[in-house]
Amino acid sequence: MLAVSSLLAGSMVPQSSAAPGQEASPPVTQAAYVPKDKDERGLWMMADEEERQLRTSNFVIRDPAINAYVRDVLCRTIGQAECAPIRLYVVRTPYFNATSAPNGMIQVWSGLFLRVRNEAQLAAVLAHEYVHYRDRHFLLLWRELRARAGSATFLSMFGLIGSLVAMGQLSTVFSFSRDQESAADSGAVYMLANAGYDTRESALVWGQIRDEADATAAARQAKSRKDKNGGIFATHPPTADRMTALFALSEKVKANGEPVNGVDRYHAMLATLWPSLIDDQIKLNDLGATEFLLASLAGGTWTADLLYARGETYRARGAAGDFEKAAGFYREAMAQAPANPEVRRGLGLSLLRLDSADEGREQLKEYLRLKPDAVDAPMIRMLAGG
Amino acid sequence: MIRRILSFAAAAALLLAPQSATAGWKAIAQGKPIAVAKTGLTVTAPSGVWNRWSLRPSKKSELWTKDGLALNELAFYSGVTSGEPIFREVDKKNSPLPKFNSKMLAPDVVALFEASNRIALKTSLFSVDSVEPAQFVGQPGVRFTFTYSVQNNDLVRKGEARAAVLRGQLYMITFIAPSIYYFDNGIADARAIMDSAVLLPVAAK
Repeated sequence: MLAVSSLLAGSMVPQSSAAPGQEASPPVTQAAYVPKDKDERGLWMMADEEERQLRTSNFVIRDPAINAYVRDVLCRTIGQAECAPIRLYVVRTPYFNATSAPNGMIQVWSGLFLRVRNEAQLAAVLAHEYVHYRDRHFLLLWRELRARAGSATFLSMFGLIGSLVAMGQLSTVFSFSRDQESAADSGAVYMLANAGYDTRESALVWGQIRDEADATAAARQAKSRKDKNGGIFATHPPTADRMTALFALSEKVKANGEPVNGVDRYHAMLATLWPSLIDDQIKLNDLGATEFLLASLAGGTWTADLLYARGETYRARGAAGDFEKAAGFYREAMAQAPANPEVRRGLGLSLLRLDSADEGREQLKEYLRLKPDAVDAPMIRMLAGG
Repeated sequence: MIRRILSFAAAAALLLAPQSATAGWKAIAQGKPIAVAKTGLTVTAPSGVWNRWSLRPSKKSELWTKDGLALNELAFYSGVTSGEPIFREVDKKNSPLPKFNSKMLAPDVVALFEASNRIALKTSLFSVDSVEPAQFVGQPGVRFTFTYSVQNNDLVRKGEARAAVLRGQLYMITFIAPSIYYFDNGIADARAIMDSAVLLPVAAK
C-alpha cells in the first residue's frame, strides 16, 4: 500500500527484467495498464490526486495484519497478476461500502467488516470493485454522462416538454450506471467460483443488508428503507433485484470441488478489530442495526465484549426500560470478565440512573480501581462519592 | 465542524431567503454582558475580537468566531430540553441525532455531544480526552476536552467545553479550533467567556 507512487511511476516506464550480464529475456509479468487517451488520463489524474491525499490520511487503518489479510483475499480472488497494480486502503468509516477509482485504488470502509460474515462475502465485494476498475466503468460512464448531459442541456432550453425529455436522457445515464453495477456483480461471481469460494455468499450479503435496514426501522418504529435507492435516478440497482440476480447466477456458476466460505479465517483475522468498530457503530444512534450486527457477530455465543457493547447500546439510547436491560447485559459481561473496567463503568452509570445509587457508586469505585488513569477519572470519582 | 455549519447555512439560505440580506456578523462589545441565543445565558467577552453570526444554527444555539468559524468557533447551547437534539436535525430519517434528557449525568452529556458530532460530521475519528467536574453558570457541571478530524479534510481540531444541567435544561459552551496554532491562540479567551457565563431571567417583551 505504501508503494503507490512507485507502482504508478513504474507503470509509466518500460520495465526490463534483464539481470546484469544476461541477454534481455521476455518480461515475466504483464506491463501495468496505462491510461490510453485524454479522457482516461484526466480521470486518472483526478484519482491520483485523491489517492495522494488518502495516503497520508488519519482515517486509513494501517494495521499490517488486517491490510495483509484483505489484500490476500483480493489477490486470491482476482488472481496474483491482476492484483499486483491494485492499491487497497482500509478506511475508518462506520458504514457498509467499498469504492474503486479509475487508477486502481480500492477503498474498503471499516463498517463493512461488521457486516460481511465470512471471507467469501468479503471476496465478493472486493471482486465487484475490481471489475469496475478492470472494465474501465468510470471512463464509459463519464463518456455517457458527457454525451447525455450535452443533449439534456440543449433540450432543456425548450421549456417543460424539453425538460421532461432531458430528464429521460439523464435517467438513461443512471440506468447505464445500474447496468455497470450488475456487470460488476456478475463478474465477481465468476471470480469467486474460480477462487473456490461459495458463490451464493455474494447474494447472501445483500440479504443481510436488507435485514439490517428492517432492524433499524423496527427499533425506530419507522418504515424500512431497504428498498429506497433513489428510483430512476439511482446509480445502483435495488438491493432486492441484485440479490435475486446473484442467487440465480450463483446456481449456475459454482466453484470446482467443495466451495468454501472461509468463516474461521475471517473471524480469526478480524476479531481484534471488532471492538473498535463496534464502538464506532454504537455511537451512530441506531439501536436496531447495532443489535442486529451484535447478534450476527455473536452467532449464539455472547462474549463479554459483545455483551458490554449491548449494554452500551441500550444505555446510550436511554429510553424507558433501557437502563434495566443495559444493567442486565453488563452483569452478564461482568460474570465473564470481572476485571474489565469499562463494564463496571457502564453498570455503575446505569445503576445511578436506576436509583440504585449505592451499588452504582460501588461499581464506579471499582472502575477507578481497575483503571485509575481513565480520561474521565476525575468526573467519575465525583459521581462515585469521592 | 464546517460540514455542520454549511448544512445550517444552506438550509437557512433556503428557508430564510427574504431575511438573508440582514444575515451577517456583528462585533461583540468588549467587557459588556451579552445575552446569547436570545436567552438568559449571558456572557462577557474579555477582548473585542469576537463576532456573532446572526444566522443561528438552531433556536437554542448561537455561534461566535474571531477569525472565521473554520479557525475558531465558540458555540453556545442554551436551554435544550428533554427530547431535543443539541444540533438541528439535517437527515432525521436516515441519521437521527440522539436526544438530550434532563436526567442525564455529566458523562451522559459528554456521550451525547460525542455521538451528535460523529453523526453530524460523519466521522469516526472523534475522541474525548478528559472529563472533570467544573462550575458552570454557577452550578456544578462538567468540563471536557476532545479531538476530531473530518473525512476528506484531515485537519485535527481540538475542543474544550463546559456544560451543566439546570432546571432540567442543558446549557453548554464549546470552543473548537484547529490544533495547530488556533486552539492555543483562542482558548484563554474562550475560558474567560465560559467563566463569565451566568443565567439571568429573560426580560418580558
